[in-house]
Amino acid sequence: MKRLLALALCLVALPCAALAPAADEVVVGSITPLSGKLAVYGEGFQQAMLLALDEVNAAGGINGKLMRIHYEDNNSTAKDSVSAIQKLITVNKLPVIFGPAASSNFLAVCPIAQENKAILIGAESAAADITKCGDYVFRIFPSDELQGKGAAELAVSMGYKEVVLTYINNDWGVGLGRVFKDNFVKAGGKIIDEFSHDEGKTDYRTEILRIKKHSPRAAVNLTYIKEGATMLKQSYETGLKTQWLMGSASKSPKLVELAGEAAEGVIGTYPTFSQETPQYKHFKEVWAKKYPEKKVPVFGEYNYDMVHIIAKALRASKSYASQDIRAALIEAAKGYMGVTGDKTFDKNGDVGAVYGKWTVKTGNIADYRP
Amino acid sequence: MSGYYLQLMTNGIIAGAVYALFAVGLTLVYGVFRFINFAHGELIAWGAYLTLAFSALIPFGAAIFPAVAVTVLIALAQERYVYAPLRKKAGITLLIASIGLSYFLRNGLRLLWGSDLKSFGFEAARGLVFFGITVSRTQIAMFLAALIFLGFVWGLHKFTMLGKGLRAAADSLELAEIVGIDMKKIGRAVWIISAVFAASGGILIAIDTNLEPMMGIANLLKAFAAVLLGGAGNVWGALLGGLFIGIAENLGVAFFSPGYKDAISFALIIAILLFKPTGIFAIMKGMR
Amino acid sequence: MDYFYHILVIALIYVIFASSLNLELGYAGLYNFGHVAFFAIGAYTSALLSLAGFSPAASMAIALLCSAASGALLAMPALRLSGDYFGIATLAFGELARLFALNERWLTKGPMGLPGIPRPLGIEAGISGIPVYFIFTVTITVAVLLILRKTTMSPFGRALKVVREDEFVARAFGKNVFSLKVRAVAMGSLFAGLAGALYAHFVTYISPYDFSLNETILVLLCVVLGGKGTLSGPVLGAFVIIFFQELLRFLPIPTDWGRFVSPIQGMIYGAVLVILMLKRPEGIIPEHRTLQC
Repeated sequence: MKRLLALALCLVALPCAALAPAADEVVVGSITPLSGKLAVYGEGFQQAMLLALDEVNAAGGINGKLMRIHYEDNNSTAKDSVSAIQKLITVNKLPVIFGPAASSNFLAVCPIAQENKAILIGAESAAADITKCGDYVFRIFPSDELQGKGAAELAVSMGYKEVVLTYINNDWGVGLGRVFKDNFVKAGGKIIDEFSHDEGKTDYRTEILRIKKHSPRAAVNLTYIKEGATMLKQSYETGLKTQWLMGSASKSPKLVELAGEAAEGVIGTYPTFSQETPQYKHFKEVWAKKYPEKKVPVFGEYNYDMVHIIAKALRASKSYASQDIRAALIEAAKGYMGVTGDKTFDKNGDVGAVYGKWTVKTGNIADYRP
Repeated sequence: MSGYYLQLMTNGIIAGAVYALFAVGLTLVYGVFRFINFAHGELIAWGAYLTLAFSALIPFGAAIFPAVAVTVLIALAQERYVYAPLRKKAGITLLIASIGLSYFLRNGLRLLWGSDLKSFGFEAARGLVFFGITVSRTQIAMFLAALIFLGFVWGLHKFTMLGKGLRAAADSLELAEIVGIDMKKIGRAVWIISAVFAASGGILIAIDTNLEPMMGIANLLKAFAAVLLGGAGNVWGALLGGLFIGIAENLGVAFFSPGYKDAISFALIIAILLFKPTGIFAIMKGMR
Repeated sequence: MDYFYHILVIALIYVIFASSLNLELGYAGLYNFGHVAFFAIGAYTSALLSLAGFSPAASMAIALLCSAASGALLAMPALRLSGDYFGIATLAFGELARLFALNERWLTKGPMGLPGIPRPLGIEAGISGIPVYFIFTVTITVAVLLILRKTTMSPFGRALKVVREDEFVARAFGKNVFSLKVRAVAMGSLFAGLAGALYAHFVTYISPYDFSLNETILVLLCVVLGGKGTLSGPVLGAFVIIFFQELLRFLPIPTDWGRFVSPIQGMIYGAVLVILMLKRPEGIIPEHRTLQC
């Protein structure tokens, strides 16, 4: 029993000993999916953030102090996101935290951030509900409210009056599906059939047959990369001929890599920004220099902008107390033109966006021009 | 409209044939050793992932053989280092060990290949159309492979000494030992068959769709349902059970939300266990 | 220090969860691999009721009864099955429960999850409420452990162990084996539901992803590692596992290696289960097998 007690004491003492804050740096927290099902994306987010961080520190850091990002893994789950934010707020005592990917994880932590007046910023969480999180929650990424509208407008503008709607059964897909449906029906469209499909399955033939049964001219499929690729491939085999309309989350070279010829001709919407701006050209250049063998990851530009905006706010802030940083952040973002365009926050801490259309043409993702 | 149901049915039969492949391995092990191998699903996934690894070095067709061979080695190692030493202990020990083993192997896959979806990279091809029903070439290959493997088991059971030994062991392990059947040999044969079937099925599924670390456990649950439908230890029951599950879950989607596709096999598991624990297809008792 | 209380509360919730599984697995010898379903039923019932305006404390109480009732309802037919089959049936039930939560959006909001679950007894949401919630959880945990102690030392508890060792002997002693088992599952489900409710009100957000097969493995590991069939085993097991998990956060792991942490952790859990079974199936704290002749 004594040995057990000693063991327990060690377990308790270790976490407390591991903390030693350095005075000459400014630390920002980040909850990033480094493991679990979103780890595929997490690595890219991290690389984009580190790229911006290098630039910030090369340009003198935060008024002479080095800026550092403290990463906490959230295992891609809500439970671990909550643990991670509790730790960042209470143990590391960080006033600014980059929120986790996946809207469900973000929504799980945002009441905690709001309650404790810690600034929470997201670079890839799209759910419309996040708008209501509170005045300490911001995001660099546009709300799905905008994308749902964009997708509905796309379908209407292409002359599709009746579509089959399917969406991935997770927070993102369900939320976006709802906004799409509302807007599409309002614009006079009709949803012939609507169903969700599970995440991470390998066989979607039955789902595809269900679409095929209606032989619709267009099918709206709001899904992720791997699910999208599998569905495209299998519908190609099944001989389903329909115009696929997709969302932003499946816009990736990986989709084409996995689905091959079956991805040809897909059209989708995505929040866009001009690739002609000097900011974008600069980003492309530094990315290629730091990670020569890697393509720019999904949402990489947003993560890059996020770090730069925060750095700007921290430099201008009166102190490192969160209410001062918050005021400085709103000021810093006003009219800020980042890689991803104008990042001025509205009163809910959301940014606006322009929606573009993408398509797959001869094995490449390209902008869609009718 | 009827074409729609026929198409669902066809897909169900093909999926079911592969489930049967997994179920036969599971049920053979149960027949001889009287325990449910939770780590069976990981043999499915490892077979597929090893093929992916070997195909980076040698042509795909050749990569299958070392991949299946290594999967067999994993299965034999399981038996030798974990299951055999535990055989004399209480059933729960064996069961928990196999759950642990399955978790270990699944996370091993994630460590080596990541959680990301992988693909063998075959181009998508238009399926072949027979009487208005579309089937892909992979699906045909899956079905043929399943038939050949199951035919092999049938021949083995019927015509060889090994088959007689299997049946004897399934009836009573002790009696089989008393009459001088080499149980070590039988045991080894069962593990080899089980691993070869699992790995081959895994490779076929991966060609048809993709590879991902959870592919084993997902198919294992279907195989459980098939084994239970057929009555544990019953090879033919497992075949029929597999087909039944495949058809049920594919046809079911016509009536339920696709989100409940997996639920159909779980609900079947519970229903069978509650109403007819000996299995619905527990016919041909002599073939056990 | 609030973070430390946070981990302690999580550990205590797992103590209750593991102890409830132990009642079935360790004492009654029932291999329940779908125990997470009752954790989920408790969490969802309590969350939904309190979000609908009921007081959180009342919601928790109703959630317990719901879990216990659904446990008994599942047990009555499922107990006709022996050993391994009971395990598979419960495993299937666990997955069914998760799929239900994922697909019935009208009730559970599906994958969106339920945010903003209020805390009971006016405990503040967010971090400021954690120390009070900690005291609340400690009180409940101590009460649960006392009840379990009393139960397992009672004739009922001893009878369960006889059932586990040999059903025929139990019958020969005139015990109603079926009724004993149903009561064990109902009680186990009740406490699992309690753990689930405590979890929901503590984290203040639940989604179907919190109730996966991984949780089943984790809680199974807590029981087996600590020592099944003992009161203190699952307590120790839960503390070791939860602290081990959180400790990983403090290891100076290079950021590039981050993605290896979770698979390696999983491999360690799996390997520990296997090695325990091989070398020390009784766990850290072995059971005093006074019943054996």
